[in-house]
Amino acid sequence: MKKLLGQILEIEDVQGISLMSFAGEVIFQEDSSVFPREVEESGIWKRLFQAMKEIREADLVFENMRLYIRSTDLGYLVVVMGLFAPAAMVRMNCDMLLPFLREKGKPKGLRSFFRKKS
Amino acid sequence: MIKKVLVVDDDMEMLNIVREGLSGYDETFSVLTAVDGLDAIDRLKENTVSIVVTDLKMPRMDGFSLLTFIMEHYPEIPVIIMTGYSTPEMERSAWEKGAVGYISKPFMINALAERIVTTLRREADGGTLHSISSGMFLQLVEMEEKTCTIRLVSKGSGEQGVLFFRQGELLDARANGLRGEDAAYEIFSWEQVSLSIQNSCQQKEKRIHRDLQAILLEAMRRKDERRSSKKVPPGKNKDKQKGTVKNRKLSPEGVKQILATHFAEGAGVEDIYEDEAWEGLVQEFRRVATFMKAGEFKVGYLDRGADHDFIILPSDRPTVISVNPKCPRDRLMETLSES
Repeated sequence: MKKLLGQILEIEDVQGISLMSFAGEVIFQEDSSVFPREVEESGIWKRLFQAMKEIREADLVFENMRLYIRSTDLGYLVVVMGLFAPAAMVRMNCDMLLPFLREKGKPKGLRSFFRKKS
Repeated sequence: MIKKVLVVDDDMEMLNIVREGLSGYDETFSVLTAVDGLDAIDRLKENTVSIVVTDLKMPRMDGFSLLTFIMEHYPEIPVIIMTGYSTPEMERSAWEKGAVGYISKPFMINALAERIVTTLRREADGGTLHSISSGMFLQLVEMEEKTCTIRLVSKGSGEQGVLFFRQGELLDARANGLRGEDAAYEIFSWEQVSLSIQNSCQQKEKRIHRDLQAILLEAMRRKDERRSSKKVPPGKNKDKQKGTVKNRKLSPEGVKQILATHFAEGAGVEDIYEDEAWEGLVQEFRRVATFMKAGEFKVGYLDRGADHDFIILPSDRPTVISVNPKCPRDRLMETLSES
């Protein structure tokens, strides 16, 4: 997961990335400094995701930053970008990430349950 | 000059295999991907693509519709069809619609790579030039009454563009989502370029009606203008930099005026209206912005996976722009966030 999301973080002016559940809980976060803890604790993300339930992706421009929010099988992917980030590149990389996240969300099944421990 | 190959398939596994398989050719071309025809059109608007390789059966917009669109809007881009459901009728139809290649799945990745490389060679059959000033060269093209398609890459920014000449006459240009004269001004403002010349021109429609000299002069004027004003990123307007924040409220009429000023062909906008139903969502965006110290919410692009996407401009009754997914999304966002 770290490697997959890390590729997006390497894009110019991308400042942080977080994968959150539909309830706004952090599943994975890279560069947490741009995601203040109080945002998660205050339930702001949960409220936002509930309001976004029919929306597949949102590309938001603010005065000081951009947020790209993408619905996935596991929850929402949130990318924090500066105003110079190549947004199209970020979107494309998120598109490429979706099938991998889908795989991560699948139950592992009996094969992995019975896998021999090394 | 690294070419861009756009591979279109709704099968993500297939896309990843092709991308990985073609990674050995990254000194010749890079691979862009799209998941269906509409997604491919977005990529075509955002990039200067040299070849499209597309599947036929895809949701939202299939490969035949994409092929027809490319033949109409990007006639210089060769299209190779790849399909797992090949019939002689489909193959004939693909050739008739203008495809330059047809490959049945499953195929060896090297066979596809060879087909791409062979097709790319034709793109530069007139030669390539590096680190030149485009103005002088293009005046030679005009004087020699050449018919050609010229692809250019800015040495400074890496931006790419295409110029279409028929018997020395500049018919059309394309760069950064722009077409016609605006694209030509953009290209001619690049200081140093690398270019490749194709000895043919598939473009038929004439979109540029001023002569080359006039366009070169106007491009120089714009370049000087640009130099004198420092570039400001999207969302950072000049008023803000001076410490004054404008009280933004873009009405539908205001948006129409802005779009008419910046976009020649409607920019994929289908409707503009006020709709307070979006206010709740806008409030949530603002709430997040407060916690994230993101500043004022300027503009949002929302995709609900339907036929239309929406651009939202905040206010008590948000202004909503309904757009088709073919719109130049990033340019629209940039223009509206700075207005």
